[in-house]
Amino acid sequence: MIAAEKIEIDSRYCKGCMLCGHVCEFDVFEVGQTRSALDYLMPRVANLSNCKLCRKCQTFCPEMTLSVVAKKKKEGGV
Amino acid sequence: MNPLAEKYLRKEFLPFLFCPGCGDGIIVHSFLKAVDELGIIDDLAMTSGIGCSAWIPVYMHADVLKVLHGRAIPAAIGLKASRPSRKVVVFSGDGDCMAIGGNHFIHAARRNIDMTVVVVNNQIYAMTGGQVAPSTGVGSRTQTTPYGNLEKPLDFCKLAIGAGATMVSRWSTAHPKELSRTFKKALNHKGFSFVEVVSQCPVQTGRYILGSGSPQFNLQWIKDNCLPAKNPAQWAELEAQGKIPVGDIMQVEKSEFMEEVARMNQQVKEAAAQGGEN
Amino acid sequence: MKKGRIKVMLGNEACAEAAILAGCRFYGGYPITPATEILEAMSRRLPLVDGLCLQMEDEIAALVAAVGASVGGTKSMTATSGPGFCLMQEAVGLAVAVEAPVVIVNVQRGGPASGQSTSTAQGDFYQARYGSNGDYSLIVLCPSTAQEMFDHTIKAFNLSERFRIPVIILSDEVVGHIREKVFIPEAEELHFVERKAPTMPMEQYLPFKAEENGVPLMAAFNSGYKVPMISQAKSLNGNRGNAKEAAENIRRIVAKVEDYMDEFAEVQVYGDENAPTAFVTFGSLCRAARSAVDMGKEIGLALRSVEVKTVWPFPDKLVRDALAGAQRIVVAEMNLGMMKREVERVIRQPEIEIELFSKIGGIYPQPQEFLRFLEGKR
Repeated sequence: MIAAEKIEIDSRYCKGCMLCGHVCEFDVFEVGQTRSALDYLMPRVANLSNCKLCRKCQTFCPEMTLSVVAKKKKEGGV
Repeated sequence: MNPLAEKYLRKEFLPFLFCPGCGDGIIVHSFLKAVDELGIIDDLAMTSGIGCSAWIPVYMHADVLKVLHGRAIPAAIGLKASRPSRKVVVFSGDGDCMAIGGNHFIHAARRNIDMTVVVVNNQIYAMTGGQVAPSTGVGSRTQTTPYGNLEKPLDFCKLAIGAGATMVSRWSTAHPKELSRTFKKALNHKGFSFVEVVSQCPVQTGRYILGSGSPQFNLQWIKDNCLPAKNPAQWAELEAQGKIPVGDIMQVEKSEFMEEVARMNQQVKEAAAQGGEN
Repeated sequence: MKKGRIKVMLGNEACAEAAILAGCRFYGGYPITPATEILEAMSRRLPLVDGLCLQMEDEIAALVAAVGASVGGTKSMTATSGPGFCLMQEAVGLAVAVEAPVVIVNVQRGGPASGQSTSTAQGDFYQARYGSNGDYSLIVLCPSTAQEMFDHTIKAFNLSERFRIPVIILSDEVVGHIREKVFIPEAEELHFVERKAPTMPMEQYLPFKAEENGVPLMAAFNSGYKVPMISQAKSLNGNRGNAKEAAENIRRIVAKVEDYMDEFAEVQVYGDENAPTAFVTFGSLCRAARSAVDMGKEIGLALRSVEVKTVWPFPDKLVRDALAGAQRIVVAEMNLGMMKREVERVIRQPEIEIELFSKIGGIYPQPQEFLRFLEGKR
C-alpha cells in the first residue's frame, strides 16, 4: 500500500504560493488558515489519504520547505 | 523541510529572498538533486552575477563567488584556471548572461572551457522591477517598453551552439525531473555546457506581460508553452507554432580548453628542458 | 651582497619577471599600448611554470578572471593602460569587496578616452585611488625605473597578500618602455608573503571576521571551508549584512589598509635634504627631477626632490616630514595638478604657495626645464 505518513510544511519558510496544491493531481492540499513565520497563509494538508507519494509538491515547492514522509513498511512485510 | 534543503542549504541564510512562487527555488531543488546523486558538493565552485537567479548558488553550502553584473563567467574562468579539477558552475539570468555578460558568454563557449552555465530565463529584468530583457517577446509591455517591445528576443540556445558550446539544453521549471537529469549530464560533460531554464516570475513577467501575478497561473503558462521536442524537426515545428521547445538539443565531444592548456604547458616545459633556458 | 644576476630589460619585462618570481600563476590580460609587453612576456613565461596566461575578451573579464583565480587560491595579476583601466574599475571594487589579493599594473598613457596611446602621462593619479564606487582603500605604488618595476611588483604581490586587497602599480609609458639594467635576485634572497588560511574547523570559520591585523583568514575555494563570497556589503558569515553590519564591513576594509600605513608607505628624498627648494614628484618624473637636482648642485643651487613611491593612501606624514623647512615647494607631474592638491592638503602653511610644474601632451620634460621653471617663476 503506497501511502504518506505525513506531509510536513516548515512554517518558518513557507510563502503560501500554493504551487504544491497546483501541481498535486490528488487534491491533497487546500488553502489553510494559519500563517507562516513570514506571514503568508499556508497550505493545509486536507486529504492526506489521497496522497500517492508522487512527491510533485516536494519537487515544485520553491522554498524547499515541504517534505513528504512515506509510511514505513510494516515489519515482516514484503 | 525538504531533505535536500536539510542537507545542502545554508540554514543561516534562509529564507530565500525569492518572491512567493518564484521558479528559482525549483531550480535550486533540481540542481541539488543532481549534485546529491553525483556526490560532488565538495568539488563545486559556483559563481554568479547580479539578479534574482544570481542568489541561487549563495544558499547552497558550497564555495560560491557572487560577483558583478554580467561577470560570473570570467570569474568562473579564473577559478577553473586556478584548479582545473573543480566543477565550475555559473548561475545567471537572461539579462545578466546575455545582455551585460553576452560577450563573456560567447568567448567562454568558443574556448570550450569545462564549465556549466545555467541561465534562468524569466524574460524580464525582475530584480530591478520589470524592465525589458534580451529575451522579452515582441510587443510585450514592461516598465521600459510601456508601448510594447520592438526588439526581437534572442534565442540563447542557438547563440550557444553558434558560439561553440559542446552541450546545449533547454528545460523549464515545469520539467524539474528532466532538468535535474540534464544538470547531471551537464556536470559530467567535459567542456562548455549550457542549460537554459525557462522560469516563471509571477511578480514581474506574470503581472506585466502575461496578465496575472498568480504563481499557479504562471507555472501553468510555462507548462502549456514549454513543450518537449525529441528532434530538430519537432523543435522547429514547435517554434513555428509560437511555443518554446525544450529538450537536450545537442552534445558533442571536443577537446577541452584546460586539458589543451595542460598539454601545451607540458610540451613547452619539455622543449625548454631540452633547449636550456632562453 | 645579494646573489642574483643583472639583465638589461624593459620596465614592462622586469614587471613580468618579478611576477613569475613572486609566484603569480594566472594572468588575465588584454592588449593595450603601452602595457602589452607585460601580457606578451607572461604568455611566454607562464606555461613554463604551469601557469596560465589568458588573453580575455576585454579588460573587465581580464581583472574579473584574475579575481576568480585569486579566490581559487592562485596569485594573479593583470596589466593595462588608461582606457583598459577604466573598464577594470568595477572589478577593482569587486576585489576590494570580496577581499581578493590581486595585482593590477597601469602603464599610464595620455588621456582622456583614447588620448595618446604611445605617449607618457600621469593623469590616472586619482582614478587609481577613487575609480570604483563607494568607500574603499587600496595601495598604489609608483615605480620610476625598470628596477623599481621589478621591486614594486614583488612588493605589490606581498602587500596584496598581506592585506587581501588589489594593489595597483601606477607606472607610465616612460618606465614601462625604458630599457635599463635590472638586478634580479635569486628567489631565496627575496621575501614573499602568502595569505593566511584558516586552520579551525569549518563550523567555527567566519569568512569575513578580521584577525588582529585587520584582515580575515582566507580559505581558498574547495579547501573544505565552503565560503560564500558575495560582492555586497556583508556580515561576518558572508551573508548580506544589515545596516550596522554593512557599515562595519565597509569601515573595516578601509581601516585594514589605512591603519597600517607604517608597514608600507615610502617617500624618498634625493639631493640636499635641507634645501630650501623642493620638488615633489612621483613615477617617471622622479628621473628628470633627479637630473635637475644634480644640475642645480653643479651651479651651486641646493635642491631636493621628494619622491612619493606609495602615492595611495597618500603618505601625509612622510611627505610633510620630507618637506620640512622647505620655503619653495614645486609639485612636478605630468597632469594638470592632481598630486598638487594632495600636497596642498598636507602642507598647510599660508606663507608657502604650492607651485605646479606640469607637463602634458606626451612630451617628457628635460631636466633643464625644471631649473628654468624655478627661474621663471621668481
